[in-house]
Amino acid sequence: MFTLVLRGFMQRKLRVLLTGIAIALGVALMAGTYVLTDTINNSFAAIFQTANKHHDAVVTPSQPLGRNTESETSPITEAMLAKVRATQGVKQAAGTIFTVGAFLTPQRKRLTNGGAPAFIGSLVPPPFNAFKPVEGHFPENAEQVAIDQDTAERHNLRIGQQMIVAGSAPARTYTIVGILRFGGGESFGGAGAAILVPAEAQRVVGSPGRFDQIDVAAESGVTPQQVRDKLRAVLPAAVQVRTGGEEAKHETAELEKNLSFLRTFLLVFAYVALVVGAFIIFNTFSITVAQRTREFGLLRTLGSSRSQIMRSVFYEGLMLGVVGAVLGLAGGIALAPALNALFKAFGADLPNNGTVIESRTVIVSLVVGIVVTVAAGLQPALRATRVPPLAAMREGIEIPRPIPSRRQLVIRFVLVILLIGVVRATLGGGSALVLLIFVAARGLRLYKRLRRGQEQPPYRITRTLARVVGTSVRWRGITGRLAQENSVRQPGRTLTTAAALTVGLALVALVAVLADGFKATINTAVDRSFAGDLIVENSQASNEAAIPAQLAVALRRVPGVASVTPIAFTKGRLRTSKDNEAITAIEPESFAHVYRVEWTHGSDATLLGLGLTGVVVKKEFAESHHLKVGQTIEVHTPSGAYVPLRVEGIARDNARLLGDLTITLALAGAAFGQREDAVDFIAYTHGASNSEVQPRVDRLLASAFPQARSRTAAQFKKDQAGQINTLLTLVYVLLALSVIVSLFGIVNTLILSIYERTRELGMMRAIGTSRKQVRQMIRYESVITALIGGVFGLVIGVIGSVLITSLAFSGSGYVQAYPVGTLVILLFVAALAGLLAAQLPARRAAKLDMLSALASE
Amino acid sequence: MDATGEHNGTGPIVAATALSRRFGQGEAAVDALREVTVEFPSGAFAAIMGPSGSGKSTLMHILAGLDRPTSGSVRIAGVELTELDDRALTELRRDRIGFIFQTFNLLPVLSAEENILLPLSISGRKPDRAWFDQLVDTVGIRDRLTHRPAELSGGQQQRVAVARALISRPSVVFADEPSGNLDSKASDDVLGLLRGAVDQFGQTVVMVTHDAHAASFADRLLVLADGRIIHDGAAGSTEEALDLMKSVG
Repeated sequence: MFTLVLRGFMQRKLRVLLTGIAIALGVALMAGTYVLTDTINNSFAAIFQTANKHHDAVVTPSQPLGRNTESETSPITEAMLAKVRATQGVKQAAGTIFTVGAFLTPQRKRLTNGGAPAFIGSLVPPPFNAFKPVEGHFPENAEQVAIDQDTAERHNLRIGQQMIVAGSAPARTYTIVGILRFGGGESFGGAGAAILVPAEAQRVVGSPGRFDQIDVAAESGVTPQQVRDKLRAVLPAAVQVRTGGEEAKHETAELEKNLSFLRTFLLVFAYVALVVGAFIIFNTFSITVAQRTREFGLLRTLGSSRSQIMRSVFYEGLMLGVVGAVLGLAGGIALAPALNALFKAFGADLPNNGTVIESRTVIVSLVVGIVVTVAAGLQPALRATRVPPLAAMREGIEIPRPIPSRRQLVIRFVLVILLIGVVRATLGGGSALVLLIFVAARGLRLYKRLRRGQEQPPYRITRTLARVVGTSVRWRGITGRLAQENSVRQPGRTLTTAAALTVGLALVALVAVLADGFKATINTAVDRSFAGDLIVENSQASNEAAIPAQLAVALRRVPGVASVTPIAFTKGRLRTSKDNEAITAIEPESFAHVYRVEWTHGSDATLLGLGLTGVVVKKEFAESHHLKVGQTIEVHTPSGAYVPLRVEGIARDNARLLGDLTITLALAGAAFGQREDAVDFIAYTHGASNSEVQPRVDRLLASAFPQARSRTAAQFKKDQAGQINTLLTLVYVLLALSVIVSLFGIVNTLILSIYERTRELGMMRAIGTSRKQVRQMIRYESVITALIGGVFGLVIGVIGSVLITSLAFSGSGYVQAYPVGTLVILLFVAALAGLLAAQLPARRAAKLDMLSALASE
Repeated sequence: MDATGEHNGTGPIVAATALSRRFGQGEAAVDALREVTVEFPSGAFAAIMGPSGSGKSTLMHILAGLDRPTSGSVRIAGVELTELDDRALTELRRDRIGFIFQTFNLLPVLSAEENILLPLSISGRKPDRAWFDQLVDTVGIRDRLTHRPAELSGGQQQRVAVARALISRPSVVFADEPSGNLDSKASDDVLGLLRGAVDQFGQTVVMVTHDAHAASFADRLLVLADGRIIHDGAAGSTEEALDLMKSVG
């Protein structure tokens, strides 16, 4: 039996390849994701190991609120450094700075690398220094800087040239005196480092007298663990003490967590592609089983048991799965660099030193690829077992669909409920809901079939849709007419083929509608809430880069500026909660001049009374935490303090500038360690025009704060839309893979249908249909199928996004918008995809031998 | 040469000269046709008979421009087929030749009327309504025009096929075992229709069959064996044709 399967397999190489690719592409994205993320994680691990190589112990600020919540004011002071040096067993200790800033050319042009961070570091004495000069030397005074080799090469910077390093203080220009190499030459990806002398580094990052970290070397004979324990005993809880090894591991683990979204994000698209692939496998197997009815009948006549037939189809699925999974794995390893390049193009240049292929990558990719293929082929295999032996004798025997008995129905129902329960428990409610919808659709179809007996379900919608979209090709005469009829000859098959495309296009439509809604929401919110004239932010604000607090002070002196209100973002946690809440810090005196708060309880005057003890909470937050004006909440801050705050007001904010909690900047500075601002809002004096004031602001920024830029409300909205569009494009690129997979499905179905219609096509050629007309007919048929998939996709996508937004964003001021242009373009893309998919099948159909039509039985 | 294909009615509509067709190469080569020369004059009904493998189907395929001879020449209405490229050949089949197949070969997705008009639809020509009506009445399927092939009996399907073959007023109709899949009543109906087309419209019909009774409807009978014409004469009765076949079989 197996030999028979293998023979058949080898004979149908093209189909095996086309079907195999359907599954291989999904597996490739999956394997590529693992390879890429493993490689990135490994590269970071190597960097952190090198950085902590000669550190026996490391002192860093603790993060009482968890990952990514450190206070902007470091608890590590000169006094603490002195204490560390005085601790027994410590041979040497150095305070270091390593903070994100910005590098610019003397012409104020940013030296950026795809959104990767630019680090400002302080010169560290040996043995702690992981950098070595490859050219020149380390900085010797406050006028000099040394930069890493990658940054120098990327921007063609040489020793003797000038560059600006900007942090939290007014920026300064430095002379490049050294080009540095990190450790063993590991690449940072797009990140760069500029090393300054310690005091200058502290000044630039706005932390005079403070450090980000203390590096410690132990006396000989003292182990890292011993010196760590000694230090722990003398240092306050505001800092962590780890051995060098522990620190490297800790940093690696934190980074992996920070980047885990990347893996999840990519895997989602891999699974989407796999689902589409499963549709195609299912469809291909269904068609081939139908075409081989006679062969199965013969095998049954010759004495094959049902389970043997089942196994023969099952093995075919298994072999296809193996072929697809292996192809996919190989493709994935090749795809990883392309994915990296994609992220680089979209602003995430991560280090990538040496491809890492974990055994997990291989195992998971192979298992998922094979299981999905086999599972998709299961139902057709079952169907094959129902072929009656009589099918060998006669042509055109339909495979009977058994009508389940009452008992079977009950068993099925129970099984389905169990399955949904298991999915809900393991994969979450969303997956269970999708499954439920799918099952409900199947159930409805089964119900219809039970009502009508053996009759084929009518597929009314598909037929109607084929008629509607078919009119687009009807004007092409008989070929269009035939294509339209042919497309719904087997409506079930058409629907499954189209469904593969539907999945991808529905998701594209969904994100397109969502993105349009977000853009509309931002525009509406800015128009409604922003009462100022100008916004000043970091030119890398999308990466949450901040601006110096001194900037607001400087802006107030610009002629034409009436008021400037700085706004900062921080985090905090209610004593009763495990989640961090977003906190906005504002300046009470000036905030109401430029921002319209929609008060539920309170007024603009409430802000003035906040002081160091008051808080305004967001309406939704107040509702979910049952807060009323006058109640007191206790907030845990990033610097480790607990602050009691009285609820003074409750407000709504559709613009999402205000966090769950709004406090004063004074409190943020005092208790939350906040030093920098996120954004400054500016209001002009009465009568001042933007064309006068904005250039003045820009001149100030260029001279002292080159990392910042000014934006009018219109420019700001455009930036926000641009960011959404960038993300949208990335999602489109990744969803394109699913659309490509579904193209293979159309190709496959067409080829199989053409094979079925050999005689018909031969007759048409015999009576004078030209090859061109045959090609045209197949192309139109493909376009109609693709358009059916496209229309379904758009409808599902639009409905889906409206459902999501009305469920998840109800009452949050979300503005529904429909990108009609994009949706129309999507339909054209679907038609074009159909045209593309038809190329090979159309050529095959046109080449068919006419004599086959005349050949007698 | 009459490039427009209009025929003056005196010379042969189909003329084959020294046709040979070899399948395969070397030792395995089979000669399906050996130096066959034959002419079919206008307005006559010819039947080609012969045992399996005699070359009768190959001869018809080559005469109809579906296959190319290894050597020799074929002219239809004065046009040399062997010199035409695929496109010209397709157009010639479309405009000058009608086909009737054993398995009817109607398009299942089209109605009977659409199937009849298919050759005109393919060429984008407007149907001659009077001619269409006359044909439909002749073959007797007026009440079935909106039905699809699956809703028609075999005899009805073949009658639709006859109408389809005649709709473009072809120079010649080739019929390949037109009664092969029909019961004797339906078979006689269809053969009678072909006979009528020759008598009423002056149609030229070339039919391949292995059924002696079918051959008796023709004016002329050719018998092939081993790729050669071994008999060419008046069709005569069923019994005469049977005797002829026995002598070669």
